[in-house]
Amino acid sequence: MIRGLIILLSFQGAGEIVSRLFSLPVPGPVIGLVLLLAFLIRRGKVDAPIDTVASALVKNLGLLFVPAAVGVVMFLPQLKANFWAISIALTVSVVATIAVSAAILQFWPGHRQTEAEEPKESA
Amino acid sequence: MTPALPIAEIWVYLAGSPLFALLLTLAAYEIGVTIYERANRNPFANPVAIAVIIVAIGISLIDMPYTKYFEGAQFIHFLLGTATVALAVPIYQCWDSLRGKVLPLITSLLCGGAVSILTAVFTARLFGADMTIQKAMLAKSVTAPIAMGVAERISASPTLTAVFAVCTGVIGAILARYILDALRLTAWWQRGFAIGVAAHGIGTSRAMSIHPEAGAFAGLAMGMHGVAGAVLIPLIADVII
Repeated sequence: MIRGLIILLSFQGAGEIVSRLFSLPVPGPVIGLVLLLAFLIRRGKVDAPIDTVASALVKNLGLLFVPAAVGVVMFLPQLKANFWAISIALTVSVVATIAVSAAILQFWPGHRQTEAEEPKESA
Repeated sequence: MTPALPIAEIWVYLAGSPLFALLLTLAAYEIGVTIYERANRNPFANPVAIAVIIVAIGISLIDMPYTKYFEGAQFIHFLLGTATVALAVPIYQCWDSLRGKVLPLITSLLCGGAVSILTAVFTARLFGADMTIQKAMLAKSVTAPIAMGVAERISASPTLTAVFAVCTGVIGAILARYILDALRLTAWWQRGFAIGVAAHGIGTSRAMSIHPEAGAFAGLAMGMHGVAGAVLIPLIADVII
């Protein structure tokens, strides 16, 4: 487990360095993701230590958002004053985004063939 | 010595150490997950939303300021970056099934991302939300840690942006099933990707709990949206704000 953590943190660190060195607009962890992905593709498999730690983190991704989200308590008066504007804007935006992204994938020409090749996917 | 004194001392110690914030956050999340599982993974019993409500009530009851809470909880927050890197693993596992899907996925991402920004900002403006809120709406559709970075760049409030990002994730995780069913999307990769574009981390977390392929494609969408958003949102901000 420790070895997996060392590997993931090293990729995160490498991403951080690349991001700063070239003053990229993309944050370090995202570059770390791209670097790790490139590493995995080159290596052709996921080693057990990486898999152990990555699965644990990804399975509990929701937990990691809690501290930032509790920041909601600092904005309660502002959120209350604009409650409807915010709720409607967020809901409309999410519904529209899911619908547009989904519709493009659904109606993309030739997608039916892809599905027919891999019928397990619609299970 | 009265028994009240040692308890008070213990309390002072706890409030000053990260222990309390960590314990509260983990316990609240565990309760959230338990309720989610008991409710048969009903999207309305979103574990993150439940955990946030429990923690928010918990720290207000003992008058702990948010900054003090965050000092302890930052250890959990830090792992968000590591978890972002870790998303490479599920993405790698669906790498071979990406062939022939790259163009529709990129198109879906860019259109979805543009729609997310325009609808959020203009709906908020239409309903009279002030500039602080409109600006925070810009970056809310990318995953919270990236959204916070983008927010700084476009001089919006990072915390408010993170709050909107998480709310977006929760609303998306709740509503996605109904929208996707209405559109008759059946392939897990399509369902997962659409959730990931709109509802980033919390949507991905929900997708992971439903189907591994949906989870992997949600993670892919979230990562791609993060990269695209970090580059494009500052440019869009100049035009529409």
